Amino acid sequence: MNTKQGRLGWLFTSPYLIYAVVFFLIPLVWSLFLSMTDWNLISPTFSFVGITNYTEAFQSPGVKAAFFVTFKFLAVFIPLVVASSVIVALIVKGLPKYKGIFLIGFFLPYLASGVVSSLIVKGLLSYNSPINEFLRNSLGLDIDWLGTPFAALFVVAVIIAWKFTGYYALILTSGFESINKEIYEAAMIDGVSAWQRFWKITFPLLYPALYTVLILSIGVTFGIFTEVYQLTGGGPNFATNTWQMEIFTRAFSNLQAGYASAIAIIASVVTFISIFIIRKIIELWGKRNGWD
Amino acid sequence: MKTKKVVSILFLASLTVTSLAACSTGNKVQNGVVKDGVTTIEFWAAPNPTQQVYWKEVAEEFTKENPEINVNVSPMKESPTSEASIQSAIAGGSAPTMSENINRGFAAQLADSKALVKLDELNGWDKLKESRNMENTMEGWEFSDNHQYVMPIYSSPMLFGWRLDILEEIGVHEAPKTYSEMLDVAKKLKEKYPDKYVWAKDALADPTAWKRWFDFFMLYDAASNGNNFVEGTKFIGDEKAGEKVLGFVDDLRKEDALLTRKAKDPFESGLGIFTDIGPWTISYWKEKFPEMKWNETYTLAAPPVPDDKETSNVNTFADTKGLVVYASATKEQQEAAMKFINWVYSNPENDLKWFEKTNLPPARDDLTTNDTFKVFLDKNPELLPYAAAVPNAIPPMDNSKYNDIQTFIGQHAFNPVVKGEKDPKTAWKDMQEAIEGVLK
Amino acid sequence: MVGTKKKGLFFRYLIAVVLLLIMIFPYIYMVLNSFSDWEQVDKTLFPTDFTLKSYEWLLGGGEAVIPRPWLQAFFNSFLVSASSTLLMMVSAVLVAYALAKIPFRGRDTINNLILFQMFFPAIILLIPTFLVIQKIGMYDSYWGMILPKAMSLWAVFMYTNFFKAIPETFIEAAKLDGANERQILFKVVLPMSKSITTVIFLFLFMERWTELLWDMLVVKSDSMLTLNVLLSQMFGPYGGYPGPMYAASVLLTLPIIILFLIFAKKFQEGMQFSLK
Repeated sequence: MNTKQGRLGWLFTSPYLIYAVVFFLIPLVWSLFLSMTDWNLISPTFSFVGITNYTEAFQSPGVKAAFFVTFKFLAVFIPLVVASSVIVALIVKGLPKYKGIFLIGFFLPYLASGVVSSLIVKGLLSYNSPINEFLRNSLGLDIDWLGTPFAALFVVAVIIAWKFTGYYALILTSGFESINKEIYEAAMIDGVSAWQRFWKITFPLLYPALYTVLILSIGVTFGIFTEVYQLTGGGPNFATNTWQMEIFTRAFSNLQAGYASAIAIIASVVTFISIFIIRKIIELWGKRNGWD
Repeated sequence: MKTKKVVSILFLASLTVTSLAACSTGNKVQNGVVKDGVTTIEFWAAPNPTQQVYWKEVAEEFTKENPEINVNVSPMKESPTSEASIQSAIAGGSAPTMSENINRGFAAQLADSKALVKLDELNGWDKLKESRNMENTMEGWEFSDNHQYVMPIYSSPMLFGWRLDILEEIGVHEAPKTYSEMLDVAKKLKEKYPDKYVWAKDALADPTAWKRWFDFFMLYDAASNGNNFVEGTKFIGDEKAGEKVLGFVDDLRKEDALLTRKAKDPFESGLGIFTDIGPWTISYWKEKFPEMKWNETYTLAAPPVPDDKETSNVNTFADTKGLVVYASATKEQQEAAMKFINWVYSNPENDLKWFEKTNLPPARDDLTTNDTFKVFLDKNPELLPYAAAVPNAIPPMDNSKYNDIQTFIGQHAFNPVVKGEKDPKTAWKDMQEAIEGVLK
Repeated sequence: MVGTKKKGLFFRYLIAVVLLLIMIFPYIYMVLNSFSDWEQVDKTLFPTDFTLKSYEWLLGGGEAVIPRPWLQAFFNSFLVSASSTLLMMVSAVLVAYALAKIPFRGRDTINNLILFQMFFPAIILLIPTFLVIQKIGMYDSYWGMILPKAMSLWAVFMYTNFFKAIPETFIEAAKLDGANERQILFKVVLPMSKSITTVIFLFLFMERWTELLWDMLVVKSDSMLTLNVLLSQMFGPYGGYPGPMYAASVLLTLPIIILFLIFAKKFQEGMQFSLK
């Protein structure tokens, strides 16, 4: 380790260091500072309010909702996206030819902007859309997709699952390919049923790829914004009010920059801890079963 | 040696980007620059398309006559509301010189943050009031510090549209005037067309603050004779009237006469037969739904009132918005802005042009008496009900916390009642508590 | 036996095709609606009357409507996405190379800081980053959109892992030939990273192209808006014109799909490679 290399190392990493100072450390400190003021983003003056913003945030229905909504999204979105991507991966795996073309095709939804998918869903789910007309007239079902709490959450989860299914299927497919074919053949000879084969052999071997998918999708869940912003604005009655949505409304619609900073700090603490715990659980689950 | 090369790579990369970015920013008009004696002012027009057309035209004419001032008109963004985009522009230190589309509550909020210019301290204000004939109107726009921050452009009473053709089909020949008449219509409608609704509008269940102007406040102003709702830091809402309004909405819901789903063109397609209509809708119909004809397919009426109330001279909500000049503009810009305003409004023809283009009644004292407008109104009878309702129209509250207050009206009272989740009495009580909490 | 196998194969493909069609149906719906007669927009799953009216309206405006700067927005989106992505790629390669192949004091600290920041929820920084941009005078400028997104920690992470896997022997050999670090990076390491570079490039570009929140906050001028932001604004006052909104969606989605399809083969190889 000579000084020349040391200089070079710092030089090469300097883009990151500058970036980290300007767009991470300064904002972080600024945020902590703002969270203790009542600044409204445009006024020339503000005053210190101590921890009032925090105590207020803990009682606010919007913040409480954001806390639970994120977990609701985890509970709905993750099973949905894991199931759909496993299914897609299994189907593609069973094709002897043109695997690549299908994988590319399934990946296309990932390219959609949340604004576009929200627009399409808005059209498809409007009261007098063909889908709803059909449900109403033929099945007698009249669902207020974006007006009932669970349905709205579900719709948003489906849109995001649609977007990510192809991407995750791609990850899972490479997981499948690393599975040793001989194990399958051995199992076939032993007369193990397809169902058992999946759960006893495929699934455990798939675990590393699945772990990646789980971690990625958890990250996605904590960052949901565009679809909610476009479709529900966090409603009905806060049922889809994610952290990002709450912070955005507070800071940029209601101009409560100080208060919103406090919420942002609460949000990041909650997110940090949640992701940490969930990761530990998944890792533990994998270790228990000896999958990794 | 190595260092040099790495730096040069980094430099090269950033240079490409800069030059790319620079060549496209080159023609961007700089804020507040006086170049060759020309002052450029930036004007934000309302997102409403017809208003943009109007301001573009007027600005061009103005610059022709006054080449030393260049008025740059662009529409304000709506992300998520036009108010929010103005706020973030101010926060970004890059507010326009002036903008229209400012309601009283929002102006109060901006004035509190010292973001607006006191118009009465600019040269030419008194002349403007006189030449536009709006001295009476302006009295109502004085703020609590005795200054004027907004020049109202238009004041438009909101009315309810009724599908006349469908009313005829169910044997009703006139728009209902009272709650029980309207409930009666609801029953008849549901009997003949179980798939139709009286009021089909998704915003009924949406807590966004401004949406209350176009449902709750229309009904409430009618039921309470235009009660102010809040005054300073005090909630003075008329509980009886409020509970009647909520009770009425609740009754409509019980008749299955409300639809809060997002639907494609609910009123135009006849899915709903009743909805709030502003004058801007009429110009939109001219382009997109020419089959909507006044006194044939639709009629306009004042809000329905409780049964024990007079049905003449009913109060309603007035959508009224105005022009402001931002404090961040330079002195030259502020003066140029005032010059522009004076030029526009000293000529009633420009107000007429506005009226023609946007259908929004200009906020002047002489609207019904000035011959300039009379000819136009005679030609456009569907706008007569609006002009006639001007004296009964109640402007929005000028409280700087209007956003919170109106959100609470939706969140705690109007939305849950519409959805049948709360009874009117509790709803009113919860709302009052929340509002009093935020006023403190 | 062969017959049933063939049949089974046929059904497999059938299921795959049907599923694929369902997955890309929203795109089909979007394209059809953008060309559909306004009466039929959102009224039927498969419109039958077609017209270019929506595109004409979008680019030329209606009777009472000024057209919005769609072509300018298209250019803006491209400029911002390309510059941002370029900077992210360059910075990621440099930083990752140092972290993977240059031993220097403080490397572990930087590594840890990157990991920490990567898992740090970005929302907390939204307001202060906005203020930083405003203070350095970049509000409402291309730089305001580009600079906060000029560094991708994910890309650094991916490249670092990849570079670490390159055997030291290659580098030693190059050093014996008298190559310096820069030459090693550009002549030895980068040529070996083509497939992962494609993957990283595509992901970064796609993500930048569909960014909404930040671009929406930091820009106010009409001439600076990106496509995605302009489209999201149509939800408000233009809500009555769904046809043109679908046309705008096509304008937004098509380029990125084409770009992706051009690199599709490389992308897929890179994915398989990087996931192993």
